[in-house]
Amino acid sequence: MMLSELLLELVLMPLVAFLVGLMMVLWMRRLGARIQRRVGPPLLQPLYDVIKLFGKETQISHGILHDIGIVMAMGGYIAAETLLPVPGMDGIAAYGGIITLTYLMMIPSLGLALGVGQCANPNGSIGISRALTAMLAYDIPFVIVVFGVAYHAGSANLIEIIDAQQQAGVRGWGIFEMPLLAIAGLITLQGSLGKQPFEVYVAPAEIATGPMVEMGGKYLGGLFVMQAFQFYTTAVLYTALFLGGAESWTALLLKSFLVLTIPLSLAYLFPRYRIEDLVRLLWKWPVMIGLLGVAFVL
Amino acid sequence: MSRVFDELTNFARARSLFILHYCTGCGAIELPPVMTSRFDMERLGVSPMVTPRQADILLVTGYVSIKTLKRVMLTYEQMGSPKYVIGICSCTVNGGMYWQSYATAKRLDEYMPVDLYIAGCMPRPEAVISGLRELMKKIEQGEANSWKEYYRNYDYYLGNQQHLFGDQWQTPVDVIGEAEHYGLVGDGTRGEHTALLEQVQHPLKPLEMRL
Ligand code: SF4
Repeated sequence: MMLSELLLELVLMPLVAFLVGLMMVLWMRRLGARIQRRVGPPLLQPLYDVIKLFGKETQISHGILHDIGIVMAMGGYIAAETLLPVPGMDGIAAYGGIITLTYLMMIPSLGLALGVGQCANPNGSIGISRALTAMLAYDIPFVIVVFGVAYHAGSANLIEIIDAQQQAGVRGWGIFEMPLLAIAGLITLQGSLGKQPFEVYVAPAEIATGPMVEMGGKYLGGLFVMQAFQFYTTAVLYTALFLGGAESWTALLLKSFLVLTIPLSLAYLFPRYRIEDLVRLLWKWPVMIGLLGVAFVL
Repeated sequence: MSRVFDELTNFARARSLFILHYCTGCGAIELPPVMTSRFDMERLGVSPMVTPRQADILLVTGYVSIKTLKRVMLTYEQMGSPKYVIGICSCTVNGGMYWQSYATAKRLDEYMPVDLYIAGCMPRPEAVISGLRELMKKIEQGEANSWKEYYRNYDYYLGNQQHLFGDQWQTPVDVIGEAEHYGLVGDGTRGEHTALLEQVQHPLKPLEMRL
């Protein structure tokens, strides 16, 4: 591949991810509105929010780590996008593989922990300690699921995993070959998105949005962008692992929005668990289902 | 070019408003219907937020007792500009039916610049929505700049606050420093009241950490 082509892809992939991510945020809010029988926000609402937040005239920074934390939170996902193959663009997915991707997806939480730590707000500290505990809870089933899929495909390379599924046709998709792993993956997805019933670290009514409590202006804007990336990354990764990736952008958008609809509509139907219940639940059910799935694959 | 950019941000600002509803008085009861299915303010791009740092609009819903007003001031000063204040209910306009009370602040705009009042005892959700629309119109035309007034006339507002809360009154936010940093110092920023503040002010110390 030409170097210039690669560079173009590296710029284009996060950009497309950002736009699709904004659409996903809109989808979440519209879906919530429909479930609550409301009209919901207008089409460009997420964009307006981001522009407004970055356009604030006074910005309150709590120090250098606060700034770096937000950059890490966004940068982790931006780096992750370049490892996620989408139709027409592979980026550096062939060199990174799914293990690097798993690592990169942890960076945002760590960056947030750094940034929030410097804000010295008790609500923020509680929030971030809960976020890290939740990460510990959902990462174990996540690793099991990723291991199972990679073992089944005989490769940790996302491009090969997708290719193998596409060659086998619809019957060869991960979700039909490894249904148990797919279920465990779905529960993990709910946890990693931090949506109800696993919304322990945002909890607006209890700890005032936890990690976001001291974030205003461009900091909150950065977190909004991060959320857009997060939706995109998780949905596209799930599509790649279990739904056979996608040959065209229409298929990709359809599949990833479909994947996202399940956790989001559950989110609007449930209240949330306490943190210890979350750890217990995530370490019990998805891990058990996942291990059973891995046993079948082996 | 910068004008185009300003207009774009104003356009976005008017369509994305995060409100911090500081529910002080009885008027707060009208807000749940505004937020939920019946009147749904999210279709205007208005959504509730929980901390002052994230919010754009401070809604003061009803009478403010003197004790509450201190908290309102702390909240207001922590919000990021541009920020807007909406006084809902007659009580924020002129004291309303608490006019003779010894414990409430009568007029909100003596203590902080108010962008918009929604009068009524209490205003219906329709009135709140139309008030929000009014504010959006003002923001889009770039007229909702009352937050700059607070920096330019800080002495006046601080004077009224000291009158109510006593001479020892101070907040953690360094308003004069912010005004200097953002170039918003006006004739009324400094005066006798800020001089008094500088005399009594003791520097903020980090909280003691104890288990
Ligand atoms: S105006 Fe009426 S409803 Fe509103 S706070 Fe005053 S007394 Fe209550």
